[in-house]
Amino acid sequence: MDILLGILYTVLGNDYWWGPWIRGVIGLCAMGGIMVSAMFAVWLERKYASDIQSRIGPNRVGGKYGLLQLIADAIKLFTKEDIKPDKVDGPVWAAAPVLMFGSALMMIIAIPFGAFIFNGTTYPLAVTQFDISILYLEAVSAIGIIGIFMAGWGSNNKFSVIAAFRNIARMIGYEVALGLTIVSVVIVTGSLNIVDIVEAQGSVIWFAFVMPLGFVIFGVSLIADMGRVPFDQNEAEEELIAGWGTEYSGMRFGLAYFAEYIHMVLGSCIAVLIFLGGWNMPGFLIDLHIPLIGLLPVGIFLAKWVLVMMFVVLIRWALPRIRIDQVTSIGWKILFPLAMVNLVWAAMLGLVWSW
Amino acid sequence: MVLKNFEEMIKNTFRPSVTRLCPEVPTEVSDRYRGMHKLDRDKCIGCGICAGTCPTRAIRIVRHGRWFPMIDFGHCMFCGLCVDQCPNEALTMTKEYTEAISPDRYALIYGPAQLMGEED
Amino acid sequence: MVNKHDVKKRMRQLAAEYIHEPQQEAYKLDDTEMMLHIGPQNPIQPGPFLIDLKISGETVRDSKLYMGYGHKGIEKILESMTYIQGLPVTDRICYLSSLSNNEAYVSSVERLLDIEPPERSQYIRVIMQELSRIQSHLLGTGEYATDLGFVTMFLFMIREREYVLGLIEDITGARITHCFPRFGGVRQDLPDGWREKAIDVLSMIHEKCDMYKELFSSDRTYKMRTVGIGTLTKEDVMKAGLTGPSLRATGIDYDVRKVYPTLVYPDIDFKVQTAENGDIFDRVMVRVNEIQESCWIIEQALDQIKPGPLFPDELPYGRRTPSMRVPPGDAYVPIEDPRGEMAMYIVSDGTDKPYRVKIRGPAFALMQGLPPMLENVYIADVPAIAASMDSCNSEVDR
Repeated sequence: MDILLGILYTVLGNDYWWGPWIRGVIGLCAMGGIMVSAMFAVWLERKYASDIQSRIGPNRVGGKYGLLQLIADAIKLFTKEDIKPDKVDGPVWAAAPVLMFGSALMMIIAIPFGAFIFNGTTYPLAVTQFDISILYLEAVSAIGIIGIFMAGWGSNNKFSVIAAFRNIARMIGYEVALGLTIVSVVIVTGSLNIVDIVEAQGSVIWFAFVMPLGFVIFGVSLIADMGRVPFDQNEAEEELIAGWGTEYSGMRFGLAYFAEYIHMVLGSCIAVLIFLGGWNMPGFLIDLHIPLIGLLPVGIFLAKWVLVMMFVVLIRWALPRIRIDQVTSIGWKILFPLAMVNLVWAAMLGLVWSW
Repeated sequence: MVLKNFEEMIKNTFRPSVTRLCPEVPTEVSDRYRGMHKLDRDKCIGCGICAGTCPTRAIRIVRHGRWFPMIDFGHCMFCGLCVDQCPNEALTMTKEYTEAISPDRYALIYGPAQLMGEED
Repeated sequence: MVNKHDVKKRMRQLAAEYIHEPQQEAYKLDDTEMMLHIGPQNPIQPGPFLIDLKISGETVRDSKLYMGYGHKGIEKILESMTYIQGLPVTDRICYLSSLSNNEAYVSSVERLLDIEPPERSQYIRVIMQELSRIQSHLLGTGEYATDLGFVTMFLFMIREREYVLGLIEDITGARITHCFPRFGGVRQDLPDGWREKAIDVLSMIHEKCDMYKELFSSDRTYKMRTVGIGTLTKEDVMKAGLTGPSLRATGIDYDVRKVYPTLVYPDIDFKVQTAENGDIFDRVMVRVNEIQESCWIIEQALDQIKPGPLFPDELPYGRRTPSMRVPPGDAYVPIEDPRGEMAMYIVSDGTDKPYRVKIRGPAFALMQGLPPMLENVYIADVPAIAASMDSCNSEVDR
């Protein structure tokens, strides 16, 4: 074990000149891994949607199940003509997809994607661990709306402006409920570090069972945060052609679209970590006496993550879209008081927990 | 509240899909399908009723030994009036429709020999 | 003699008074208002038309409707074609309900010729009308569901519609634009083994419609968007001249099949579906109920049909109707299109081509009913209301 640690410190440490470079390459690999998982998310959505609708989804590119369909779509988007309309607000319009993509990628550094358990100690696989990670994650995921508003305003198009206004109205309402549920989890745990939150949930007492109201509120707010049906008024094709994305074509549109899927992937990761026990084993596996070592926690984490994403996709294809005034009224009149009730319940739980 | 939707959608994932697997599996059409025409040499008397009835004027009568119809499939709308009006039932419609697609519009004018199936 | 220039000057004055200035009035905007054009080319529309909405925030204050982008001159085309050549043209007035358009044309010409089809042909025509009604309602309701964001419902309805189109294709030979009735009868008889296949398909559609009604009624998010929105009162529908499911959803039970019955509808027992409130929810429910009612009508017709000739005996033409001279006169026979009351007023002057064909299409009135409903609704309601009226743009513009 010491030899292994010695090798790791030599390769990745600051003693020689190659340390920071190799760490940078590993960081880029993490980014690449997220993009591959976003590709998987797109494939999952298309295949699961086609199963719900009695049809076959993509089945040509990449074998019988169409696994590489997104690569074909990306090639198509790269080879389209880049149309820049005349009267758009140049820097604002061009920078908007970059901002959305950047804010989605900034969430990667704080999320642990599972853990490596060896000899009783847990090494969570996160890029960094810092003490306020859950607060940082929520803050960064809200930067994306500035990008959408820039896209809507800079496009010089009435449909885009209406979409941008709707977007801001939706986010203001649901960020509050999201923040309150996260705060209630933090109160029970006693620390803002996301690794501590996962470790505080054993195998049976996941926070989803202890705070069911909080879980439901968090689920609804997360779907509103990610901008998916039934809350996707900002890109409603029926009323507003394509919402904020009307004037974008080719890879600009592809970048923003991909950023939404990355947001969906990372949002599901956060839901798994905070409420569903992260990489802890579910109760029925403990009875089989499977020890939790090595990279098994990563497998458990990925399985839970896939289930959460399938649920998000199911909600998209099963419900109609809600009107914007109904969205804000649900957010402020129903979710906000319920989140306060949940906060009180979490405070009581926090006393019991620490005792 | 919304659970009925979820239940119905989840139940539908277990039913088989209904997509037509064209072009690997050719689409089945009914027996009476109004596809491209076929001419019977012995029955046609060259009366010209089919040409007079066609709403888009897609049929013309030309000489090929006797007088026979020549159909322009670029103009034909496959309505079937010419088949109904023929007094001897010389014109019939087959189930073939993929041959009516061509990048060259002059290749779609089928003379009497092509209609009778004697020439490609 | 009246001076031509005086007449033109007077006409320009009148146009400015009645048309242009009120239009300019409506286009004046306050500081808080914006003009939104749901324009001729828009992904949501089934065809090109223009609605100008004056919005303030998210509420619609005023709206103006412009139609005519798809005018093809069908009525003029029909004047230069013989009666039998005009039949495929009437198919294409509205491609979804093409059997009903054919039926309107053929009924009017039969009244001019003073012939009546025999009983077997009448039953076959009734069966085709009802099958056309089922597939048109399935597609119309599915398209309306996509405008709400409910894409899965559209795909379910299209899946059912494919079975119905297969039934129609077995008889006529085509999926749309059928050109099936003839003057005095129909083109071909029902094939062997069609009856059992039809009864299987119809019972499946009956079950699926029960499932659709349950999905619509129990889904709270759907009801939030449709109950109480886009309400038409009885006075509004009378003023606009609406017919069809939009009229019956307000509670008036006017169905052309009961009021001016043609063919064998008096022998078949069916109920006219109505609803109470006249909002979006009720219109869609009336349509789904009508699908089930049509299934029942077809089953009765299949029970009552007897073998017999397809054309009357003394008619010299039968299936073949080349140039025929129609005695002079005029005829108007209304039938029940899936969208309302459809008829063609045919004036004949004794030759083999009609003198004038005036098409009374139901979709024109459905579009006229749209601007009064769009007062003080949200933008998100506009496509939902427009799609729930189920109008077909090619029939509006002809």
